[in-house]
Amino acid sequence: MTLENYRADAMRCTRCAYCKWIPFDLIKSARFSKGCPSIEAGKFHAYSAGGRLVTALSLMDGRSTVTEKVKESVFKCNLCGQCDVSCKICRYDMEPLDAMRELRATLVEGNHTLPQLAPVIESLREEFNMVEQPAEKRGDWAKEFEVKDLTKEKAEFVFHAGCRYSFDGDLAHVARTCVKILQKVAVDFGILGMNEMCCGGRAYDMGYRTDFQTRANANLKAWKRAGVKTVITPCAECFHTFSRKYTAKAGSQIKVIHMVQFVDELIKAGKLKLAKPVKLKVTYHDPCHLGRQGEPYVPWDGKEKKIFGQAVCYDPPKPKYNGAFGVYQPPRDVLKAIPGLQVVEMERIKEAAWCCGAGGGAREAYPEFSRCTANERLEEAQSTGADAIASACPWCERNFTDATHAGGAKLKVFDIIELVGQAMGEEGQ
Amino acid sequence: MDIKKRALIEIAGAEHVTDDPEILDGYATDCSYAPKRKPWFVVRPKTAEQVQALVQWANQTETPLIPVSSGPPHFHGDTVPSAPEGVILDLSRMREIKRIDRRNKMAVIEPGVTYAEIGPALAKEGLRISRPLLPRPNKSVIASLLERQPTLIPRFNYSLPEPLRTCGVVWGSGEVAFTGEAGSGPMDLELQWKRGIAQVDPRGPNATDLMRLLTGAQGTMGIVVWASIKCELMASAHKYVFVPGEKINDLVEFCYKLERIRLGDEVMIVNAAQLATILARKSGDARILKDGLPAWTVVIGLAGAALFPEERVEVQELDLKRLVQKCGLTLLTGLHGVAPADIADAFERCSGEPYFKFTYKGACQDIFFLTTLDKVPRFITAVFSVAEGLKYATSDIGVYIQPQHHGVSQHTEFNFPFDPADSREAAKVKRIVAEASETLISRGAYFSRPYGFWADMVYSKDAATTRVLRTVKQIVDPKNVLNPGKLCF
Amino acid sequence: MTQEIPRDAYRAIEDIVGPDNISADPAFLDSYAFQWLAELVRPNRSHYMPRPWAVVLPGSTEEVAAVTRVCNKYRIKVKPISTGWYHWAAPMKDDAPTVQLDLRRMDKIIEIDEKNMFAIVEPYVICAQLQAEAMKRGLNINIIGAGCSTSIVASACAYFGGGPSSYYLGHNSDNLLGQEWVTPAGEIIRTGSLSSGCGWFCSEGPGPSPRGITRGVLGSRGGLGTYTKCAVKLGPWQGPPVLEPKGTLPGYRLPIPDNFRVYTIGAPDWDSWANCYYEIYDNGVGYIFHRQFNLAGADLAAALWLNYIDPAKTLNDVETSVKDPEIQKITEEARISFQFIMQGNSIEDIQLQDKILNEILRRTGCYKVKRFCEPDMAEFTNMYMQRLGHKHCNFIWAGGYMGSWMQPGTPDFVKKYVPLAIEGFYRDQQSHKLVECGGDAMMGCGSTLAGGGYFGLEQFVSYDPNDNDSIDACVKHMEDAIADTAAHGIPPGKELLYLQIGWTDERIWDALAMMPQQFVLNFQRKIKEAFDPNSLGDRNYPWLPEGWGQAASASTGAPKPQPGTECKPATK
Repeated sequence: MTLENYRADAMRCTRCAYCKWIPFDLIKSARFSKGCPSIEAGKFHAYSAGGRLVTALSLMDGRSTVTEKVKESVFKCNLCGQCDVSCKICRYDMEPLDAMRELRATLVEGNHTLPQLAPVIESLREEFNMVEQPAEKRGDWAKEFEVKDLTKEKAEFVFHAGCRYSFDGDLAHVARTCVKILQKVAVDFGILGMNEMCCGGRAYDMGYRTDFQTRANANLKAWKRAGVKTVITPCAECFHTFSRKYTAKAGSQIKVIHMVQFVDELIKAGKLKLAKPVKLKVTYHDPCHLGRQGEPYVPWDGKEKKIFGQAVCYDPPKPKYNGAFGVYQPPRDVLKAIPGLQVVEMERIKEAAWCCGAGGGAREAYPEFSRCTANERLEEAQSTGADAIASACPWCERNFTDATHAGGAKLKVFDIIELVGQAMGEEGQ
Repeated sequence: MDIKKRALIEIAGAEHVTDDPEILDGYATDCSYAPKRKPWFVVRPKTAEQVQALVQWANQTETPLIPVSSGPPHFHGDTVPSAPEGVILDLSRMREIKRIDRRNKMAVIEPGVTYAEIGPALAKEGLRISRPLLPRPNKSVIASLLERQPTLIPRFNYSLPEPLRTCGVVWGSGEVAFTGEAGSGPMDLELQWKRGIAQVDPRGPNATDLMRLLTGAQGTMGIVVWASIKCELMASAHKYVFVPGEKINDLVEFCYKLERIRLGDEVMIVNAAQLATILARKSGDARILKDGLPAWTVVIGLAGAALFPEERVEVQELDLKRLVQKCGLTLLTGLHGVAPADIADAFERCSGEPYFKFTYKGACQDIFFLTTLDKVPRFITAVFSVAEGLKYATSDIGVYIQPQHHGVSQHTEFNFPFDPADSREAAKVKRIVAEASETLISRGAYFSRPYGFWADMVYSKDAATTRVLRTVKQIVDPKNVLNPGKLCF
Repeated sequence: MTQEIPRDAYRAIEDIVGPDNISADPAFLDSYAFQWLAELVRPNRSHYMPRPWAVVLPGSTEEVAAVTRVCNKYRIKVKPISTGWYHWAAPMKDDAPTVQLDLRRMDKIIEIDEKNMFAIVEPYVICAQLQAEAMKRGLNINIIGAGCSTSIVASACAYFGGGPSSYYLGHNSDNLLGQEWVTPAGEIIRTGSLSSGCGWFCSEGPGPSPRGITRGVLGSRGGLGTYTKCAVKLGPWQGPPVLEPKGTLPGYRLPIPDNFRVYTIGAPDWDSWANCYYEIYDNGVGYIFHRQFNLAGADLAAALWLNYIDPAKTLNDVETSVKDPEIQKITEEARISFQFIMQGNSIEDIQLQDKILNEILRRTGCYKVKRFCEPDMAEFTNMYMQRLGHKHCNFIWAGGYMGSWMQPGTPDFVKKYVPLAIEGFYRDQQSHKLVECGGDAMMGCGSTLAGGGYFGLEQFVSYDPNDNDSIDACVKHMEDAIADTAAHGIPPGKELLYLQIGWTDERIWDALAMMPQQFVLNFQRKIKEAFDPNSLGDRNYPWLPEGWGQAASASTGAPKPQPGTECKPATK
């Protein structure tokens, strides 16, 4: 794919500005109506999905060149996909999120990179993680466990902790709780420990497709060697990458399940009992990569065709990804199953969730923007009267935690699995 | 013969031009405080072409023209010349009802058509218009609408100029142009009708609302030679109910709720003096009636037109009862000492003779302005305080609050009756009007129709409006021939 | 393209708004030049209107005025944009330096006066936001036909203003109360009660209404200064304080409360349709009244919308659906139809309205379209029409749509041109370069004026903006529509306004000179001279140069002013 493949999207953009807002039907207040953190920060139209389509066109047509401002407008974005959802409320022929990824890749491949991302990419290449930590420390979080080592053994499931859980001392307990749960229900699983590698998803979103491909190939190879059929991960970004990007870009046929989906199934099958009350009022934050970007992926290789003269559709029919079938209910069902927990909803939920601010390389490249985005979400959480915000992604949790420590709304931040652990009587943080 | 007179006769015909001193005297004053000034001639054109010729002549000779459509008495100083050598353009001969279009509920009339004439004509077609309170029978419908006189039915008041839609205008420059939808079509109403244009849309033409520049203008911008007005269906079921209150504050919340849901046709708030004056059938009755009426009353007309009219009235009454109950008030279906037929008559007829405001004491002065309902009580207090300070009997002051624009704004009016033969009382009322007006303006009352001495009070504080209006005036009446000296011109 | 804003001008503006709020980056500027409908009028079917020389984000009225004054000094045109959806929002001239004023930082709801039923807003407050806040207070706003993503200030002060709810809630020009206007000269003018220091509640007066020079039918569309605040009248809302849609996107559904009714009404022919409209006006029932779903084309609408509400379906499924006999039956039933929502003050009230409507239908031979009145479609209709958040569906077929016809008038007036519009559009579809949705793809309000009586129907001509042949076919349709109307003595429709964006000034003046009445165009020239002495506005506020009248058109060869002289500066 090249940027030219998205010329039609750019030409068919009508500048309706729907990409700046959550789906209008879902707006409940003026305060929490916005959908795009990027344009809220950047303000010029170029910071919206529609604006980036024009940027792409303008560059392709030779009407402009890549300046520092253009780079900022392209990269100061979480690629959260809210724009994509809102655009597709009324359109079947537009792929703004994919187009923006393509634009990034085009810039990177043209050497228009952000210097602040260089150490992150180097860390990926050298240490196989996105958090600039030494590779040999990756498995330390699991030292206390006796778990199959999939570099030597085989198992049906691989538990993939992800870079954030592996290296973040504050959050690693969530990965540990996951392992305890898996052991409790006697799932045949293993880990790659120190040899686990980054999924590569963020690198793809940053525009480093080759690096993504390298990671994808390596991971698929490692899993194949271990006989793995299913990946379980507690990280939403990894979940999205494995289930969608690996399928689309690396031909993966491996099954992928998020830990929260797995726990939901266990609870509903009666295999996991949550008996200890957790007295908390909590609101759930839908991670972008589990929610609107967590839809099942069906490979498609087709082309545009026209019906009724000029109406645009596809041959064969193209699967529709508009956030309708993201993973929204399982996390909510898990929370409901925790005794003593009071769950309240924010206004912008599910496909309309405001991003945590961590994704797309924004946290690494534009920390202030990332924190402002998190603060916006925390304010919304606080407006519900909740004491805590819970999510299902370590990047969300890290970003929220950092924001609260930096003076943002005073809310406790949890992962759902952490609350499950508390309800099980397991040690929590 | 005087050269001007000759020119006027050439345009309008000898029998329609006069300089009879007695007739001229009649135009030299009105009921306002406008200084006396006699015009030089009165001319009565019959056609738009004659009006245009007159305006062109006025431009050539730099003669002030004062358009007058209604018969006397006049109240707002606009019919009294403010400049010497003025010629009264009496439009009362232009009284054709050019068209009544039942299907589109539109009527096109000339400026001389009065409320006494339009009611029966529309009724024949099953139509009516939302009217002001007890208009004089000789009051020009167009003049009333142009001056944004408040109308009784808030739910039809989609904007303040309603039901005025489009106009045919001879502008002060002598050019003729139509406003609104009519301004985009041929300059021939018959041709427009043939093409299916019904002069419905008041906006425009293009990026200007020409009609809005004519409203509140006291004839200073252009002379309207015809206007289209929006009609409604005649109600075939109609009753009046009343919600009384001891104090105006008792009724404010209720009125907010009532006006919000657009329940009812006629809606107004009146005090006892005002209601008595409205209901009185002859001079003197008002003072007797007043004592038996509530201190304050919300008058509500429940009407049903078109399909199932009686059921409409029933349902409205049911919803109204619930609302009244919720507000802890009572609903009366009649008034002490007043026959139901008289009530309907009072709100659906023209004023008798003398004009209803004169029946109390023989003469009357008004203050009126726009505000929001929450501010009305404090303005009432302010006005009554001024009156009390000047030893005027506040029980004589008529207060009339007419919701406009679906209740967003409230026409608030104070009537000060006085005996015209009592010069001390007349002077007292003059002082009350002056002082109360100043107080009201300083406290935020919006004098949207700044007539007479109000003009200076309003425009001296509003440089931006003055600039805009003078710019417009300079464009449409560059020689300032139309009613010079009025407003800020 | 190397048009650069003078350095001093840039710095002066930067001093006013801050360095983060001005940009002359070409890619940024292109994101403002790129506008829907540009491709119909620009050379080589370019999607770019003229590029601004800088884009500026002011944060307040004072900043707008200050920037405007700088632009006066340097003779740079000023073109405001808020939510800005189509080519009128862009600069108009390639060779004229223009600053695009992007008003998105001015996005506050300043106040909602619940009791007195009005709201004061800045330009970047969109209808959806204000509606959400108003509904909490039992109030509602008129959302214009372009949908809830649009700026309220724009539609109230400067641009059209009618929508599906105008029949009850009023046209936004009638809902306009006080407003704040920064003229092209940089003066701040307030109108109505606001200018008298009495608050925002009244748009008229004092005396004649100064707001009369700022609106009209079209509004100045950014061509005569910048509106920085306005107050709008609100209306009653008897539904829930917060809308709680159900279901899965895209077809969210809004449950219908007991005191509401949501229908799609069908008519056997256009005479019955017109009679039904008149009966509705006479009887005063209804809250939202619009012919909405037909934008997809009467031949395809049923198939499209019934697939649209299924989250698993795409346009590919429409191709199959249209062949389904059941769908074909529904298509015919809904061929001449419109959407109609009623709101009751009480259960008794809504029941009576229902009774009245049923009698109207009986008398006129109209009916409720059964499938569209079933709960799923009715709830979808309710959601669509109350929030009007699916207006981007105008582009659902191919990404481009142009609205032709839409001459406004009474139902009888509209009824006369409908068959011509249908026949013409059907003819133009034979090229296969437009979406073949049948000749009737007409959409329009039940009435753009409150109380009924006046509206237009707009053909939705869907074309592919990525295909020059399709764009050409759309332009041909526009030219054909102009010819069709001329041949039948009907005034031209919206298509002419759109095409004129691509005309030279002289050609536009020649066309304006052919209007039966030019008074207002000369008036507007003089207003422009007074309030825009340095001509910083643009042709969106039309005028005729002095002497360029019916006796002075190019075709007659009569004398006319030199090109480029435009308006004379006001003599002080």
